[in-house]
Amino acid sequence: MSDARTNVRDALYEPPGPRTRRITAAATGISLAGIGVLAALVVRRFAVAGQLDAKYWALFTKGTTWLYLGKGLVGTLRAAAMAGVITFAMGFLMMILRISRLRAARAVGTALVEFTRGVPTLLFIYFFFLVVPQLGVAMPAFWKITLPVAISASGIVAEVLRSGVNAVPKGQREAALSLGMRESSVFLKVVFPQAIRFCIPALISELVIVLKDTTFAYVVTFPDLMQNAKVLISNYDSLLAVYLVVAVIYIFINYLLNRLSDFAAKRRDRGLVVKTG
Amino acid sequence: MRNMEPDQNGAEVPVIELRHVEKHYGDLHVLKDINLRVGKGEVVVIIGPSGSGKSTLCRTINRMETIDAGEILIEGVPLPVEGRELAQLRAQVGMVFQSFNLFSHRTILDNVTLGPTDVLHVPKKEAREEAMRLLARVGVESQAHKVPAQLSGGQQQRVAIARSLAMHPKAILFDEPTSALDPEMIGEVLSVMTELAGEGMTMLVVTHEMNFARRVADRVIFMDAGSIVEENTPDAFFSHPKSQRAKDFLDSIQNH
Repeated sequence: MSDARTNVRDALYEPPGPRTRRITAAATGISLAGIGVLAALVVRRFAVAGQLDAKYWALFTKGTTWLYLGKGLVGTLRAAAMAGVITFAMGFLMMILRISRLRAARAVGTALVEFTRGVPTLLFIYFFFLVVPQLGVAMPAFWKITLPVAISASGIVAEVLRSGVNAVPKGQREAALSLGMRESSVFLKVVFPQAIRFCIPALISELVIVLKDTTFAYVVTFPDLMQNAKVLISNYDSLLAVYLVVAVIYIFINYLLNRLSDFAAKRRDRGLVVKTG
Repeated sequence: MRNMEPDQNGAEVPVIELRHVEKHYGDLHVLKDINLRVGKGEVVVIIGPSGSGKSTLCRTINRMETIDAGEILIEGVPLPVEGRELAQLRAQVGMVFQSFNLFSHRTILDNVTLGPTDVLHVPKKEAREEAMRLLARVGVESQAHKVPAQLSGGQQQRVAIARSLAMHPKAILFDEPTSALDPEMIGEVLSVMTELAGEGMTMLVVTHEMNFARRVADRVIFMDAGSIVEENTPDAFFSHPKSQRAKDFLDSIQNH
């Protein structure tokens, strides 16, 4: 534990004694058994209801099905990536307003953050889907999903970034100022690069939420994974099978993103450990 | 140590001058009518009990702390209060902090080149060459490509000194540079500072290292409760302190 890399989790973790280990093992066994029984019940229910019949799953033997889902996945990834970029840009600007020395700028920043955080994503989507066309603006479906999803996440990202900026030790700023660096340089070259390291895990979590929010694409009929899944369901009448497969795909992608987040956090901890001895 | 004390030959303008400086933190009067002159090449050491205002005094000189009244002059020019002028002035006065404050996301080499490239617009290659020379001078050139967290405290503080030297400052402010160090690392930092003093660098040093003050200082300033109580050569101050407060302070630290 004397390792310099000791992180907060290790610091809060007390190695269990023999009795705790026995209790933990018993609880794990009982939980696993319980989950097994539940899963068996679910599968049995499906079998009884005929959901496991080959006819519902036959569509997955066709290449066209996978091609179609693949196209949907590309749509999802494109929308999520674009929404992620816009979210970050908007979040950054709102964060700059929030930490400004000007009271008016701070007020505007706070209002934007509260507005974007407070309104449900679906409401923003309806705005772009129903109101924007009425204003005479023709917008491709891609933007009708990415913009509202991005706006909805931007306030949270602004707050995540702000907490990162606040987490950078005051001395970093002072050292940069003492070299004669201007405020903008101090922020862009010293404070923000460190702040972003603090919040990479939270930012990636937010990207997962953005990716999941793109499933609202069906509202604006943008062909993402979810929308294409719905089309498959209505063509083949196999609701459960398609939803199960699509869920697995979403879980897999988000799992990869979360692994990326862990990896980034580990790398950061290696670089930012403060050693004073 | 030098024999010449430039502020005694009258005509020369002091590098750092404070006139009637006052500062409050709310009800607390932390700096009371501070008057101080540091001449070119002079090493002035400020000592005093904790809470005496010595660190605050040091930090007002490059406006890390604002003042309520009085004047601070750098080479006879009043300290600007904001903007480009303040930044330009800070570029001329180095600062070494108690907690090193190396940029933790940059390599050691980048820590030293950032100031010259960003502020003085020195070409990158040139800045790197000079940085390597400075790192060699403070004895950490072999660590140039590591990040600060990989260095010991003593090494980090020596890098911080190199970082400040890279700006070719007119003076360097040391704000308790060894207070966060393990005993065996204090010596390596003090020896770098002693060398600097020997080369004629103008230095204002807030420290608890009495031996350093005795050996290296041209003048010792004793502060207590926000005021400068005594100001003398190290020999005179340490052997014959005039004020009771200075006597008590020296007794308290020598009893350890």
